[in-house]
Amino acid sequence: MADNETLDAKIEALTAEELARGLDIFRQKLGAAGALWLQTCVHCGLCAESCHYFLTDHEPQSIPAHKLEQVASAFRGRYTLVGRLAPALTGARPFDRDLVRAWVDAAFGRCSTCGRCSLNCTTGVNVPAVMRAARATLTEMGLIPADLQQVVTTALETGNNMAITREDWLDTVQWIEEETQGAVNDPAARIPVDKHGANILFTVNPREPKFFPLGMQASATVFYAAGEDWTVASEGWDLTNYGLFSGNNAEGGAIARNLLDSMDRLGCRTLVIGECGHGFASARWEAAEWLRERPGFRIISFLELMEDYFRQGRLKVDPSRLTDRVTLHDPCNTVRQGGISEPQRSILRRCVTDFVEMTPNRAENFCCGGGGGQLAMAQYRDRRLQAGGVKAEQIRATGARVVVAPCHNCIDQLMELNREYKLGVVIKTVAEIVADALVLPTITPPAGEDHDVTS
Amino acid sequence: MGDAGLRLGVAICAVLAAVALLLQVVRTRSFGTRPPMAEAQGSALRGILYAFGPGMAPSAKESTRTHPVVYALGVGYHLGIFTAFGVLVWSMRDAAAGSALPPAPVRQVALVLTALGMIGGISLLVRRARGPLLRAISIPDDYLANLLTTAFIALAGLRLLAGSLERALLVGAMLLLLYIPLGKIRHCLFFFPARWNLGRHYGRRGTFPLRH
Repeated sequence: MADNETLDAKIEALTAEELARGLDIFRQKLGAAGALWLQTCVHCGLCAESCHYFLTDHEPQSIPAHKLEQVASAFRGRYTLVGRLAPALTGARPFDRDLVRAWVDAAFGRCSTCGRCSLNCTTGVNVPAVMRAARATLTEMGLIPADLQQVVTTALETGNNMAITREDWLDTVQWIEEETQGAVNDPAARIPVDKHGANILFTVNPREPKFFPLGMQASATVFYAAGEDWTVASEGWDLTNYGLFSGNNAEGGAIARNLLDSMDRLGCRTLVIGECGHGFASARWEAAEWLRERPGFRIISFLELMEDYFRQGRLKVDPSRLTDRVTLHDPCNTVRQGGISEPQRSILRRCVTDFVEMTPNRAENFCCGGGGGQLAMAQYRDRRLQAGGVKAEQIRATGARVVVAPCHNCIDQLMELNREYKLGVVIKTVAEIVADALVLPTITPPAGEDHDVTS
Repeated sequence: MGDAGLRLGVAICAVLAAVALLLQVVRTRSFGTRPPMAEAQGSALRGILYAFGPGMAPSAKESTRTHPVVYALGVGYHLGIFTAFGVLVWSMRDAAAGSALPPAPVRQVALVLTALGMIGGISLLVRRARGPLLRAISIPDDYLANLLTTAFIALAGLRLLAGSLERALLVGAMLLLLYIPLGKIRHCLFFFPARWNLGRHYGRRGTFPLRH
């Protein structure tokens, strides 16, 4: 049975008690700020063109105010006096099966929680915060798309969202270490595992060991060139956290705990989140809220760390190696929601000769369409690719041959957009750009030692 | 009911509206407040100042940059609303002294502002009623709130123009004040904590002030 059919069957089977309980759950998830935001929208409609869904389908259901209204109408029906007394006037609706369907469609199917509408809201409504509360409610009611929940469950059960075994992970690390040694022509180059007291604990997206080992090799090369005291963990190394997308704070907190436990176990000084937007936002911003505790160490993005290396003169690069035009995608969770917009620009300006910005850019940039867990929800695939059309046109307008995206979810989406919209671009992480531009010291092997650095 | 009774009625309605609005805002706290735990990267205060300052400029948001006419209509509408309330307060304040209208220069400026307000209100109402997309996101409250507000601005403008119609203005004010806590006009108060929270959220994260 297709996922949407399963969901629909679950919605049909909802009892009146379960529906009533749904709004009780929503009340718990919303918070005071959410309750304020829900009652502040004036339906001016100026948010419409800030949304990549609306820009590509022109359906009223894709206007952020419309999505918000689905949630607000149930809120009014239960929690406001006038909503109960004059529902027709205020648009208050009972939280019935039809409205539940509308919530699923709005919160999971037409929103990547990118937050662009919030920046463009005339009154200041934080739409993704409300949408996440709606997602959290649906998730607790068992109405989350199964494939999205599966990613969360896999991470909870196996410690990473791709169920990579410890053995496979360590084998892959060793293999990438050997590749790195070849790339830097130094057999002493290492990817330390479980090094106690290291300065940096580096975390990665499971997509890297599974599908994009070159990305991890690039990161290792940067660490090598910077002479960093770093390590990866044998367990608790996955930076992803789809609890951000499901809205389940308890599960999000449990996944985030893996990283914090690794830090405690290894006694490292700084937790560095590799190039992954939602992973960064989860670890840097949300984990403390989910767990209600402030970590006793710094959590930074690899982008910030690389910029520091440049500032400290620890990396030397030759920008003339990449003369193709390069543009930069701003992942929503790194930039708009994460507050990291300049390090990646500073790095690229050092490493390439022809860097051009997309229009718009930084916090105003458009979501690629793959955010909010959209890549995991197969039932919305067509919508996702259609919504990505805005990003595709942004890229095309730059004339760039290389698109840099410091986020693996974005990279997956951009790769699909590259095929779908025939963009003819190459997509890379920031670390890959840096690694390609690095000028490394020449290592001379000891006399008599025979190294095959090309293997 | 005499003029004094109507003025008392306006005052009572104003108090009722204020109390109802405040109660609604306070009640949102029952949904739970938790201080943020994550260490701030930017400044919450700077974010809040940006949200209420430069972030309100038409150039700060793509939505207003690309819709300057709608933005201007909205500004005109709100200027008209504030002016109409000014006229109302003036009417109530100086009625006993026999000078229920502001002096001529002020009256002329106020007339222009109420005219702008009416143009804004009517234009936005027509835009909502005629545009299929805007209609799709509208509820009856959107229309009624606009009608009541625009009528109030019109009554204030007519009062300035004709020097009479005080009773109509007072009755219009009572209706509007009673309606404020019931529908979208509650944003006259909700706007401030909502935007405060948005500014704090993005300020802590270092997103506000926006870099362009």
